[in-house]
Amino acid sequence: MGLSRKFKQMVLLFVAFINVLGPSSVALANQLPYDTYNYNFYEDIVYTPAAYVPSGSISGTQLIYEGESLGVLSNPQDICKTPSGNIVIADTGNHRIIILNKDMTKVIKVIKDFNNMNELDSFMSPYGVCVSKKNELYIADTFNNRIVVLDQDYNLVKIIKDPTSEILEDGYVFSPLKVSVDYADRIYCIAQNMFEGIMVFENTGDFIGFIGTIEVEISLWEKFWKRVATKEERSNQRLFIPTEFTGIDIDDDGFVYASNIDEGGEQAIRRLNPRGQDVIKKGENENLGGDLWSIGFSKYAGASQITDVVYRQKGMYSLLDRKRGRIFTYDHEGNLLYIFGGLGTQAGTFVTPVAIENIGDTIIVLDAYRAEILTFTETEYGSLINNAVALRYDGDETEAVELWRKVLTLDENNELAYVGIGKAYLSSGDYENAMDYLRKGMNSEFYSIAFRRYRNEVLKENMNFLLTGGVILVIAIVAGRRIYRKKKGLAKEEGLLNE
Amino acid sequence: MNKYFSSDKIKYVFYTVSHPVDGYYWIRHSDKGSVPLAIVLVILFSFSFSFNRLFSSFVVNEIDPRTVDSLIELGGVLLLFVLLCVSNWSVTCLMQGEGRLKDIAIAIGYSTVPFIVAMNLATIVSLYIADGEEAFYYLILVVGIAYGLIMMLLGIMQVHNYSLAKTLLTLILTLVAAFIIIFIGLLLVDLMNKIYSFFYSIYIELVFRV
Repeated sequence: MGLSRKFKQMVLLFVAFINVLGPSSVALANQLPYDTYNYNFYEDIVYTPAAYVPSGSISGTQLIYEGESLGVLSNPQDICKTPSGNIVIADTGNHRIIILNKDMTKVIKVIKDFNNMNELDSFMSPYGVCVSKKNELYIADTFNNRIVVLDQDYNLVKIIKDPTSEILEDGYVFSPLKVSVDYADRIYCIAQNMFEGIMVFENTGDFIGFIGTIEVEISLWEKFWKRVATKEERSNQRLFIPTEFTGIDIDDDGFVYASNIDEGGEQAIRRLNPRGQDVIKKGENENLGGDLWSIGFSKYAGASQITDVVYRQKGMYSLLDRKRGRIFTYDHEGNLLYIFGGLGTQAGTFVTPVAIENIGDTIIVLDAYRAEILTFTETEYGSLINNAVALRYDGDETEAVELWRKVLTLDENNELAYVGIGKAYLSSGDYENAMDYLRKGMNSEFYSIAFRRYRNEVLKENMNFLLTGGVILVIAIVAGRRIYRKKKGLAKEEGLLNE
Repeated sequence: MNKYFSSDKIKYVFYTVSHPVDGYYWIRHSDKGSVPLAIVLVILFSFSFSFNRLFSSFVVNEIDPRTVDSLIELGGVLLLFVLLCVSNWSVTCLMQGEGRLKDIAIAIGYSTVPFIVAMNLATIVSLYIADGEEAFYYLILVVGIAYGLIMMLLGIMQVHNYSLAKTLLTLILTLVAAFIIIFIGLLLVDLMNKIYSFFYSIYIELVFRV
């Protein structure tokens, strides 16, 4: 009896042991087709739980419209969502716009053509779509060199083409790639071969000018080589032209989030105010370029290439990287919150990701090569961070503490969580705990605030002792010296006498 | 043992720190210094260096403590010490320097005292400063390092009985000599590797054939 019980216990222990060490953790890693990680204070990679996990994909063939399958999408280039939550896809290769319902199960409308002055007009490789607050559909009809605006019943509102201005070159061909609209129906457009910035149009369709020009920085070394090179060599060198913007999104306050490809991997996103100035906030490490570690010579190495940006809510925004298929999410202070996604052919990975959109607690990514929309739903870890960041954005740091504590139970390396808790302690006046947490979160700015207040407190409490002690010490030293000298003097005198 | 670490010798270290010119003069001329003591000071310096990198507050310190290995740093510092001594000696003995290798070792070893003091003091101070007060930390470090370098310069000047200009010249030549030593050392290591692999391949050949 005793023996069998012992045996049972051993078996149980063994099973538990296997469960703890072996397959369960491996299985969890196997379920995800990509790594999820973040960078710590030392800019080392720290693996984190997944913030988002793949939850499926939608391809054209599984959608039915008017009794017929939609067929395979062809090189789709853009997605966006309407105010009511529907999804609009630019099916570029098939020259059509597809509107899906919220769950992406049904096709609401397929737009192949529209009525233009009683004539049937159609699209030619539309690369970008966008829906305004008024539910008007803006389509960057790239190869027709125009932006088409349709109302919510898909009737033509206006067509924007051939922008004329003194600052545009003569014979400039307008090929819009991405388009976005703010609350006042101003149109922001990224056009092909337009390096001066984002083109802005009035709601009437008149071209106003550019915003967000990216300035080229030429290093001293490059200047030196330019000088040394002969004219022929110079003509063969690459031109120093600014990078083009790749993606664009507009937040509720009318600030434009525009992504670009930064070869240095330092700043791939700009937040432009209505005057066109970049007002984005950078975090502790001053980096907004995706991956920090990208050294090497392989095809897989190099800085992240951000192709699209989506503004989510409460100051959070996500960047889509086509180099390694990552999605980087930052908060309004420029802190990197979490990273997920990867390239590959497995379910849940990308081949050529081109556009990203956020619907509720899912993130959807459009893959041009796979001609699919991939969906990712947030995990507990992701939702805790999202909610905590949202609370902090609203100023409820104390309410966020509970969430940060839960984040720490899932990921005890999360520096943001430590900082979040530390800041709450700081505002409640518990400086000792605040220092402890802020040190763990490696935030020297707020740690210093807490430390300074703590130091003042300690000094204030002990000032009496310190001052009294100091006075006593001074008196003791002076008196001691006198006595010592007297004795020495006596000894000297004695010594003299002896001599 | 007592000969090297007697209290007189230890006291003389502090005398040298406070009176570098006189101190180094008598080290050269009446055997007041001690090489083992100098080596101990260099080892202490290495540990203070690691201590500073490991334990100074993160307000001033961006080094990941996991990347700091005090033993490896000790090896590096000792190697640098030997390299400096040997290369300086090899240059100065060709340039009418009066110092022996022993004196050079003592001159360099004793001049690490300000480094040791400054680094430990700065590390402790760093724990009590906040953002924006880093100046205190860096002030201590800079003063210590500057004093140590001046001491080293004066030490080499005194033990060789050089003028300042000649000292600076020999210091530059010392650096050149150090590079040559490193170069030859690497060459030697490479050659040894080749010889070793040659004999190893003969051995392998024999093992397979015989």
